[in-house]
Amino acid sequence: MSTTRPLIAASLALVTAVALTGCANGSDEAAADAPAADEAGTVTFSWDRNTAGEDEEPAYEPTTVEVPKNPETIVVFDMASLDTIGALGGEVAGAPLDSVPDYLQGHLADDAFNAGTLFEADLVAIEAQQPDLIVIGGRSAGLFEDLNEIAPTVDLSIAGSFQETLERNTTFLGEVLGAEDEAAEALAQLEDGIAEARAITAEAGTGLGLMVSGGRLNAMAPSEGDATGRNARGGLIYDVFGVEPAVEDVKGATHGEPVSFEFLLEHDPDFLWVVDRDAATSAEGAQAAATVLDNDIVKQTTAFQNDQIVYLDPTAWYIVFGGIQTTQIMIDDVLQIAD
Amino acid sequence: MTATLSATSAPAPTRPRRTWVGALIGVALVVLTVASLFIGVSDVSPATVLEGGADGTAAFLLAASRIPRTVAVLLVGASLGIAGLILQMLVRNKFVEPGTTGVTEFATLGMLFAIVLWPGMAMMGKMGIAALFGLFGTWVFMRVIRAVPVRQLVLVPLVGIMLGGIVGAVTTFFAYRLDLLQSLSQWAQGSFATIMAGRYEYVWVAGVMVVVAWIAADRFSVIGLGEDFATNLGLDYRRVIGIGMVVVAVITAAVLVTAGMIPFLGLVVPNIVSLIIGDNVRRSIPWVAGLGALFVIACDILARVIRFPYEIPLSVIVGVIGAALFLWLLLRKGSRAH
Repeated sequence: MSTTRPLIAASLALVTAVALTGCANGSDEAAADAPAADEAGTVTFSWDRNTAGEDEEPAYEPTTVEVPKNPETIVVFDMASLDTIGALGGEVAGAPLDSVPDYLQGHLADDAFNAGTLFEADLVAIEAQQPDLIVIGGRSAGLFEDLNEIAPTVDLSIAGSFQETLERNTTFLGEVLGAEDEAAEALAQLEDGIAEARAITAEAGTGLGLMVSGGRLNAMAPSEGDATGRNARGGLIYDVFGVEPAVEDVKGATHGEPVSFEFLLEHDPDFLWVVDRDAATSAEGAQAAATVLDNDIVKQTTAFQNDQIVYLDPTAWYIVFGGIQTTQIMIDDVLQIAD
Repeated sequence: MTATLSATSAPAPTRPRRTWVGALIGVALVVLTVASLFIGVSDVSPATVLEGGADGTAAFLLAASRIPRTVAVLLVGASLGIAGLILQMLVRNKFVEPGTTGVTEFATLGMLFAIVLWPGMAMMGKMGIAALFGLFGTWVFMRVIRAVPVRQLVLVPLVGIMLGGIVGAVTTFFAYRLDLLQSLSQWAQGSFATIMAGRYEYVWVAGVMVVVAWIAADRFSVIGLGEDFATNLGLDYRRVIGIGMVVVAVITAAVLVTAGMIPFLGLVVPNIVSLIIGDNVRRSIPWVAGLGALFVIACDILARVIRFPYEIPLSVIVGVIGAALFLWLLLRKGSRAH
């Protein structure tokens, strides 16, 4: 008995695997034959899923999920994906409503339901809606196992560089929504935009990404190629937009390195790229970054004197950081300095 | 009042060892204070200040950044030590300080409350609300302690830590709901990195409280002997308790607003002082203030130097050193059968 069980299990798994592969192949062909048709097809999505807890060493497990084409009910926990789905003409039936930024509200269905928070899913509510597709990413990545039992769930977290992720996710969502052309067009436009911004920053001298929160300053670090997780947000200004760091060796921590006002004066970057963290989370009471930076020491810096303190859209840069519309906002933020 | 004040100028402890330690603390304090003025990211040294003249960058930074930071550090260290000392007298327990009685947590809740309800309010007003919450916290803690029948030495701070945990959880809940969690953790994290002229003046309020504590010092000494004893000596027990609570709450709020949370200090410093010179509050005050200031300025210099030119949160350094000292005190106390 004890020896036959694993055998049976193994053979079952094998049969299933063969069946699945067959399915996937078939659907791919179908998609190729009639891309515009509204018939039931599937798109496969594979990624390395981190099965370890938040504070543990990451342990990756290759995961493949098949997603129906043209899903009717989509639940999204990843704001960057919400952005892209909406930009490609899709509509989202459920999301953590409290966390959807104002400029993405239009991507929600009129009767959109609250699917929980960015960290926790309201499984009962989601199950009741019987979604066809669930998209998670970043902070909600840990919800995979629970959600995948309800509906096909994909994790569109950052993997590789920002641009690689943008391309992968936009292409995938374009395929799912049957909007491949729109996706390709949007990607091309964003690539041009990023190239244009890089051309301008290349001429602009040094810069320092600065997060201001609760009256404290944190210097942002280039992510040195590792755009996943920790360095993702702070490093975008250097990694994606090519700003030359005023300080080379800023070591990456989740929210940058605490620095003093003197630090700003001493390293005196030509441009200060400021993310106002408190504005991102609508802490109106907390001192806005502009108030914190309005002091005698900052007034002596090159960035202040040349009017080169640039305030970045905190929601786009800090909360969403990804997606078609958001990337465009980020590009526009950088292009400000061209005027 | 004048009579009690003049009494302080009478020569303090005369045993040679105390004088020695006192002199050592004094010298170290002066040395580190001067060092603190000249340690930082920019090149500010006596030479560059003289060279640049009154309008030079070095002189400007000295006035705008270094002196305010050093003053803030000294005031915070001195006043937190005093807050711990007074609280220990009020509760008659050696292991309490604002952080182990829920006072800090209440003040933090008050700060969050002010930020959410009156975002445009001036910092002074927010500090006032934080102080009111801190005062309420002190009151709640003292009520709870009265209600707990067993007055075991370690039970008292344990109750306070639990109380603080509950209040902290409430604060975290609201901060989470309002998406303020990270802002909250940023400003509550003890650090002097962004202290400069115009951003630290509230801490003088804590300095004023130190003076108040000094004036009322003898009364706190008597309070420390217990309610019956104090009343028999003709002291208005409730009033002195009230003054003590206000001193503790205001200091806690002022420090929280200026520098964030600084753990252990209020507990460790008065205990070390009492090991050196005993329990007389009047005699303790300059010692506690001096040692508290010395402790924080040493930690703040470390915070500036360890990862130069970046800073480490001060609370991390104070936490590590403070926890070690706390353990040492606990083990030492145990051997002395307190």
